[in-house]
Amino acid sequence: MSRWILILFSIALGIALGLAYGWAIAPVQYTDITPDGLRIDYRTDYVLMTAEAYRSEQNPALAARRLAVLGSEPPAIIAEGAYDYARQAGYEEADLAAIQELAIALETWQPIPVTSAP
Amino acid sequence: MKTTRTILEGVISLILGFGLGLTYAWVISPVKFVDAEPQALRADFKDHFRSAISAAYASNGDLERARARLALLNDPDPAQALSAQAQRMLASGASPESVQQVALLASALQGQAAAEVPTQTPTDTAIPTEKPGNTPTSAPGETPPTVEVQATNTSIPEITSTPRPTLTPTATLGAPYQLVGQDTICEPDLAEGLLQVYVTTASRKQVPGAEIIVTWNNGEEHIFTGLKPEINHGYADYLMAPEVIYSIRMADGGAPASGLSAPTCTSTEGEAYLGGLRITFQQP
Repeated sequence: MSRWILILFSIALGIALGLAYGWAIAPVQYTDITPDGLRIDYRTDYVLMTAEAYRSEQNPALAARRLAVLGSEPPAIIAEGAYDYARQAGYEEADLAAIQELAIALETWQPIPVTSAP
Repeated sequence: MKTTRTILEGVISLILGFGLGLTYAWVISPVKFVDAEPQALRADFKDHFRSAISAAYASNGDLERARARLALLNDPDPAQALSAQAQRMLASGASPESVQQVALLASALQGQAAAEVPTQTPTDTAIPTEKPGNTPTSAPGETPPTVEVQATNTSIPEITSTPRPTLTPTATLGAPYQLVGQDTICEPDLAEGLLQVYVTTASRKQVPGAEIIVTWNNGEEHIFTGLKPEINHGYADYLMAPEVIYSIRMADGGAPASGLSAPTCTSTEGEAYLGGLRITFQQP
């Protein structure tokens, strides 16, 4: 009986050590993530960068391409989501205005369909 | 004997348990990073991130904000990372505007974009103290006849500096650039056929991000200043092929430098080798 207790105890101890090693000491490393895995504040800052660039470029197609790296959602939705977070997080008025300007521009922007030559 | 067996069973059980625990921790339920930081981005997405930072900087001129954003990527040398990216973008055919934005930010980070080029007489060429490296940006393959290039100097009209709102001088505003210096360079240490181009403002400040068009018999190449800030922020280079006649001009306009070809130089040992040219464009 005591032999099985020792075996079970050893297994339990081994599992505990394995979990500790795998979760705490050497967890799985994600080094090549995509932007959709970014924390919300970093995603919002990326949208803000796009909005700042849009202010001088006034090119919604280029802004939409920049936002496309954040996921498959429509760029206007991404910009609106960023605006909501920025407002809750207390971003400066100028930054909020820039994101809002971009969001509005993307709402009304229609991508030009690519037509193949005959 | 029994004790040995018991210890052995204990060790094996421990190893078995450790393996089970590790399998659960690494495979079944690994630690998930759903709130990752930009430094964990894949390399190509880091490039996107840098481009966005550069575009924002080009718009708002806020260098401190750009610097803080770049710090998130944890590059050992952000300026170098930007310069390398600009060259990658150039090689991959990215738009000149986006390359310029990245190059401008790289130069601004170096803190020398607005540095004065050493003062010289108006007919001299602005020559940096550093020597260019042996890694020109590109080279074509053509073989027309050789034309000897003579060093020529062009007088500079009266300086009419234009105040600018941004921290960094750019190539897109102001009067068209003029060719103010064209010198033959015979230095064996340099890459053979190296065409060095320096671009400065009227007040002799280095201009990063300026687009230069190099043309020859049936080809054309676009190069940009600012991609080698370790040499000069207003520097760009190109590797000329032997016996090819080139013409270069600023993309923003202005008179071209024509009839250029790699000169033949002679080393101290009497051996012939291809020399280089140094061209200087400056805003009037």
